[in-house]
Amino acid sequence: MSAGNGGWELPISEGELSRLTRELDEAHQEYLPRMNAAAAELTEELRDTQPASVGVERLRMGSRRGFLLGAGGVAAALALAACSSSGSTKASSSGAGGTPMASGSPSPSASMSSLYTGDLQVVALATALENQAVGAYTAALAAAKAGKLGTVPAAVGTFATTAMAQHADHAKAWNAVLTGAGKPAITGVPLSNQPATLKALGAASSAGAVAQLALDLENQAAQTYLFATYNVSSAGGIATAASIAPVEAMHAAILNFVLGQYPVPDDFLPTDKAASPTLLTV
Amino acid sequence: MGEENLDTRLLAELTEQSQDLNSDAVRITREALSEYGQRQEPARRWWQRGGTVAALAGGAALLGVSRAAAASSGDIQALQTAASIENLAVSVYTTAAGLSFIKDGNKTVAAFIAKTTAQHQAHAQAFNAAATQAGGKAQSAPDPKYAAVVKQMLPSIKGPGDVVSLAITLEDVAAQTYTSYTSQVSDATLRKLFASVAPVEAQHRATLLAVQALLAGGGASLIAIPTDAAKLPAAAGSVGFPDAFYSTKSASPISEGAVK
Repeated sequence: MSAGNGGWELPISEGELSRLTRELDEAHQEYLPRMNAAAAELTEELRDTQPASVGVERLRMGSRRGFLLGAGGVAAALALAACSSSGSTKASSSGAGGTPMASGSPSPSASMSSLYTGDLQVVALATALENQAVGAYTAALAAAKAGKLGTVPAAVGTFATTAMAQHADHAKAWNAVLTGAGKPAITGVPLSNQPATLKALGAASSAGAVAQLALDLENQAAQTYLFATYNVSSAGGIATAASIAPVEAMHAAILNFVLGQYPVPDDFLPTDKAASPTLLTV
Repeated sequence: MGEENLDTRLLAELTEQSQDLNSDAVRITREALSEYGQRQEPARRWWQRGGTVAALAGGAALLGVSRAAAASSGDIQALQTAASIENLAVSVYTTAAGLSFIKDGNKTVAAFIAKTTAQHQAHAQAFNAAATQAGGKAQSAPDPKYAAVVKQMLPSIKGPGDVVSLAITLEDVAAQTYTSYTSQVSDATLRKLFASVAPVEAQHRATLLAVQALLAGGGASLIAIPTDAAKLPAAAGSVGFPDAFYSTKSASPISEGAVK
């Protein structure tokens, strides 16, 4: 990841770079309390409105693309066109390790199929997607350090480190909502597409291949949050999803630029790559 | 900043691919707007019918009409303010495109400005279509607050960096405003509209922040599609997304650009 690998010299001073990094960190710290407050508000809303019993219909029904979470818990009929779901709802388990990416099985048992319902199912999906991204960047950085990706541009290394930290913040915020509502936090990646993601990451042998995989994950996250804004009912959930979607989209823009693609390909963010709650294995 | 930075054939292909991808999104948005219009139609009829009833039946019915009008006026104001922000963005980018140091400068920057102008035009059309379908008027004027800011800044614009700086400000205001409105509007279809535009403005800002950093760091030759990723400074990888959560503290009030 060093600049020296590619024979590149820093075109700005170390002082300037330090200043930019410091400003980035200050901005980051400024917004964390705000996000935590929003998450607390969302937790309160969910606690006030969601009965303890399962089978509560919490997602709005008005949209033509809306999905149902009816009686019986996860009777989800998500009508997202061209959704990336594999259709499997079985918990995946592959390998072991400390990172979310390395752990295909979620911390809660996969047999607890009705553990997260209504808005909380969307929160659980969001948490799992964030963990998936953190794991992917962690694994990519490790592969780069081990020299498995060839020469990695310095900008790609910085991107991965910064984006990973932001995804970790998102996951932390969503997990605070889950635990605040009396549900287990999600520390793994309980998604049925996780084995395929792991396989693709393991097969990547260049920074470009990893960046393309990251782009897919960022687009999926951004579009899932867009979908959430008009399909969850709690005001806090809407506000939180609305505040994260642009950030994931910004990640995607920079990845597109690095990959040699136009950074803003759509006039309106679509939802064709949004993740379905049926991806969840808990 | 020269033409040698641009692979025009690749840019044309990417633009075409982008337009193909975008056409689907535009279609979906139009369908959503049409759906929203259809849902608003009964409400307007009720409002008109209510007005008649009020004239006949007095104060009680008038109260009902007033509540119905108040419930939808906020959404319409939000849509009009959003359209006013888009109108200003279109105006600024159009003006910028005509400046000599843009027109004759870095071709990738010029192409970005052209594409971004078209995207803001599409947003303005979408917001105005939703406003009129909800029974309001289309907003053709620019946001008054930021129009004044732009007017004040224009004389000091001397180069691409100044244009980029101004554009970053406008894109950030737009993204913050739509992020905020997503939580404020009363209709799911309008939430979808605002939530589908905010990330696009954020992407404009991310791109411009990266361009700004490259210009400031002497890396103007790297502002190209495709760029030479290996030569990008480390900071270019992170400068485009400074916050983990998108702020709304500078969001415009819904009345700011509403039709008076």
